[in-house]
Amino acid sequence: MPGRSVAEFMAQDAAEAVGARLTPQVDSLIRAAQRGDHGAFEQLVRAYDQSVLRLAMNLLRSPEDARDVYQEAFLRVYRNLHAFRFDCSFPTWLYRIVTNICLDHLRKRKVRKEEPAVVETPDGPLDRMDSFEEEAPQADPERSMWNRQLRERIEVALEGLTPRERMVFELRHYQGLRLRNIGEILGATEEAAKNCLFRATQKMRSVLGDCV
Amino acid sequence: MNCDWVRKLLPFYFYGELPPEDEERVEEHAHACAACAGELERQRRLAAALDRRRAEPPPLLLEECRAELRSAIESGASRLERPPAKGPWTLFLEAMGATLAGFGRLRQPVGALALVALGFLAARFTGAGSGPAPASPGEVYASVRSVQPDNAGRVTIAFDETRRREISGRMDDRDIQKLLLTAARGDNPAVQMESVGLLRERTGSDDVRDVMLNLVSHASNAGVRLQALEGLKARMTDPRVRQTVAGALEDDGDPTVRMHAVDLLVARRDDSIVGFLQDLAPRESNDYVRWKCEKALRDWNASVGTF
Repeated sequence: MPGRSVAEFMAQDAAEAVGARLTPQVDSLIRAAQRGDHGAFEQLVRAYDQSVLRLAMNLLRSPEDARDVYQEAFLRVYRNLHAFRFDCSFPTWLYRIVTNICLDHLRKRKVRKEEPAVVETPDGPLDRMDSFEEEAPQADPERSMWNRQLRERIEVALEGLTPRERMVFELRHYQGLRLRNIGEILGATEEAAKNCLFRATQKMRSVLGDCV
Repeated sequence: MNCDWVRKLLPFYFYGELPPEDEERVEEHAHACAACAGELERQRRLAAALDRRRAEPPPLLLEECRAELRSAIESGASRLERPPAKGPWTLFLEAMGATLAGFGRLRQPVGALALVALGFLAARFTGAGSGPAPASPGEVYASVRSVQPDNAGRVTIAFDETRRREISGRMDDRDIQKLLLTAARGDNPAVQMESVGLLRERTGSDDVRDVMLNLVSHASNAGVRLQALEGLKARMTDPRVRQTVAGALEDDGDPTVRMHAVDLLVARRDDSIVGFLQDLAPRESNDYVRWKCEKALRDWNASVGTF
């Protein structure tokens, strides 16, 4: 059996949501929300907003940016839901909106050639290099140093990806979406998504070298 | 099956994206080949290292987001668009009839050439004796135009068929440029971004410049508008470009776009926009844009306010 990442198991909701057929319940929620039922709209939001926030947070690594993505995405859904014609699944339509907003963020960072080294959290600024799983206090100092180097190399590797490669990798590795669905979301073919994933893994392996 | 072939498939094998027969062949090969088994292990270690990098949202963030969204919807903010402010600059542009005069044609439906350029072939099949070949799912999309049964028990169906194609070429290839222009005029922001990014160095061409100007004014995606603005940076001496950038500074609902527009517009002294900046600055809600307008006015020895 092929391996599956831990993250993939943790994030099955996004994968299942996008891959699933539209259920009658979601269908009727959408129709009610299209008629102006705010309660139905809120239920619709709550069905998907955790996976949207998780995607934005993991990709942009900033609670403030994730918050912006959440607001902009669901406000766009609110404004444009009347135009949703059921010609794709609702989660696919939603993820199209979300990934476009996230890609805008990533591209702006690329243009500025900067990635926030420090992220804002409710407990104050936090170096994003420290946002990894902490080593146990008794961990071997040499191992800690090696792990830190590995984390830094991973950041460099991820920053070396184009926004689109980063998005495809995020959706496949962390969100567990199938390449077919990723292509549909990004307006590309499954083959194009596949090529993107291949380039992303090759780039990361070349930067990480002997670290893995 | 050789090692090169297996290694190309390893990422897809790892993510469970191979058909069962290929999956089995990769497994068989990896059992017999220590080098490829090692590569697969490296893929697993890479994934494990990346798993540890996962960032979860802070505990209260979801509830905060929900509350903010509810509040935005209840206050009606989401339905409010930035009012179409008509300052002196806009009025001037309207009076001159110079604004967007050539853009109407850009909003027209894509023409036959563009359809071909988009990679879709249109063909019509008619005639009692011909039967359309079955469409491959995902490749051919048909739209039936007419259905005509005859007395002999046959039926004639007229339909349009579109087929996806791929072409590749260099940026100086005319067909590639036409395709990119068509893609930039489309409605897929990701494709628009890629295309505008590639066309940015070619704003010397009237066609490219027209598309960039149109995108600055009309693209629904702020990232596309920003990218188009960036593309026009080298053309800021062109009065038509300056007018469009000024329009974006005045009307665009996205502060990032307005920030970029003001940077471009005041990068060199231009006494003809002093009145426009004087009028705009007090109405501007973004601190940076307002500051930049006021700074330009001071640098150009103009008064910041109007009297």
